[in-house]
Amino acid sequence: MAKPKKMTLQEAVAQIPDGAMLTFSGFTIWRRPMAAVYELIRQGKKDLHLVEVNGGTHSDLLIGAGCVKIWESCWIGHELFGKIGANLARRAEAGQVIIEDYSHVQILYRMAAGSMGLPYLPTFASMGTDMLNPAYDNLKTAGLRDGSNPKIPKKKYEIVSDPFYGGELLHIPAANPDWCIAHVQMVGEEGTVRVDGQLYSDSEAIKASDNVIIVAEQVVSEEFIRREPTRNLVAAHQVSCIVHQPWGAHPTGCFGCYETDGAFIQNFFKSTRSQEGLDAWVKEWIHDLPNFDAYLEKLGITRLEKLRANPAFGYSTTVKRGTRA
Amino acid sequence: MNRDTTLAKVGEFKPIDLLAVAAAREVTDGDVVFAGTGLPMLAIGLAQLTTAPSAVCIYEAGSVDGRPVSLPTSVGDARCIYQASVASGLFDVFNQLQRGKVDLAFLGGAEVDRYGNVNTTGMGKYGIVPEKRLTGSGGNSDINGLAKKTVFIMVQEKRRFREKVDFVTSPGWRVPKWPSGEMVHKKEVYNRAFRGGPEAVISNMAVFRFDENGEMYLDTYHPGFSPELVKENCSFDLNISRVRGETKPPTLGELDLLYNTIDPEGIFLP
Repeated sequence: MAKPKKMTLQEAVAQIPDGAMLTFSGFTIWRRPMAAVYELIRQGKKDLHLVEVNGGTHSDLLIGAGCVKIWESCWIGHELFGKIGANLARRAEAGQVIIEDYSHVQILYRMAAGSMGLPYLPTFASMGTDMLNPAYDNLKTAGLRDGSNPKIPKKKYEIVSDPFYGGELLHIPAANPDWCIAHVQMVGEEGTVRVDGQLYSDSEAIKASDNVIIVAEQVVSEEFIRREPTRNLVAAHQVSCIVHQPWGAHPTGCFGCYETDGAFIQNFFKSTRSQEGLDAWVKEWIHDLPNFDAYLEKLGITRLEKLRANPAFGYSTTVKRGTRA
Repeated sequence: MNRDTTLAKVGEFKPIDLLAVAAAREVTDGDVVFAGTGLPMLAIGLAQLTTAPSAVCIYEAGSVDGRPVSLPTSVGDARCIYQASVASGLFDVFNQLQRGKVDLAFLGGAEVDRYGNVNTTGMGKYGIVPEKRLTGSGGNSDINGLAKKTVFIMVQEKRRFREKVDFVTSPGWRVPKWPSGEMVHKKEVYNRAFRGGPEAVISNMAVFRFDENGEMYLDTYHPGFSPELVKENCSFDLNISRVRGETKPPTLGELDLLYNTIDPEGIFLP
């Protein structure tokens, strides 16, 4: 296997074709590959099929900007900084994006099965819910479960009897996205990946995907990152290419590096509830800027420094979070 | 530690304070607790500082038994794993849930029915073009399905306490059995994995529990409310015959902990 190539963000993102099935690192508003998402929008990607363990600011933005046709997941919002994914809601309610609902465990197991090379995994999770209501199998309703797209399973799920101990449970089909874009703290120059803090579902998302773009805060020598192999998550041969992009998860947070920029996300949520608002936001923060460096300059060093993590804790101790202190 | 056990009077606490305190009282010492973002974080923090010091808190993003010194704003927050025993990921902690290791979970929702089915997916007609899309299930449905006990913290409004929710996101005591969708007892759907379900719903007006048939009844009403007023704020015919009286208000000591130790920055308690 060839060593993963070091690329610019533009080059890495340019490899992703319209219509690709895509997944991401992170969890809601933490460690999302935002710089790459801005670049996907700048390059005008269309008809993307997102399959993600959970959504957040990154996917709501991508959906709002008109890049997405299908969203398969379990949740979208901005945590404390915006209670729903308003862009997904608006576009789904207008019939512009198809939602396929799974529960958190179900969609996680889709990715885990994909990462194991299995066609499906069994689970007890979220039986007795409307996620399993045949009337809400939206990809089937759209005629997309006809087998013509090898990435879309012919069934959303199957209820099966347990052949060993009795009773019933679910089989949940594997997902193998075409691409995973993961933002991580550190990568070796040959592609060894290290993630600090909670791992979320990064391992499953990366290993399930056919191609993997690693965007890292720091690129270090392999000699350095291999001194402590137990701290590493993914080996180089499972990575396609590497991008060095400090602050590349902003406004989402990155353990040990910087805090979630809550004020920025709150402003995004408030100002993008209408399509006009979203279009203006995308113009200001993406299209009017040539690249992510210009975005960071627009944010300014003072803002970024307040978000920087204190090494004793892994998070910022200077950012203002609540109404009192 | 000696804390002020004087009960706060109406006017000395906010509705949200009572929600946090009432939820904390649901924790038994030693419980393994799954908590979500927001009020659940206050509740588990308060329980650990008072009646349940050896309770273990798991956050679904992959943090096990953290000892945060700064309140997380979400379950993915870097703060969750300060002094944690394990920082892992969703696959580890959800597998612990499926394995039956979770005693209690705190959850929320937009609307609930008399059997404790909760909707966080969409209001009105659902389908390929939904009428009004909400956040989706997150882990709510998995946790409610597989924890031994769950406690819901919700805003009480007539339109939110419904005979039937628009979308069963999270399974209560009587749930649809697919493919027919016939409503049956949860046990008939979960088989060997059945281990319990919703224990209580705590609203800004009252605490509700579930009877032998899995139907919600009024357990206690908060100071300043009455059983009749609570019933008026339910769309279904709420059983108020088993009411035990008023919900115990927060103590001054609990309020002190909430505002000065757990959330001194005013994140969830502005």
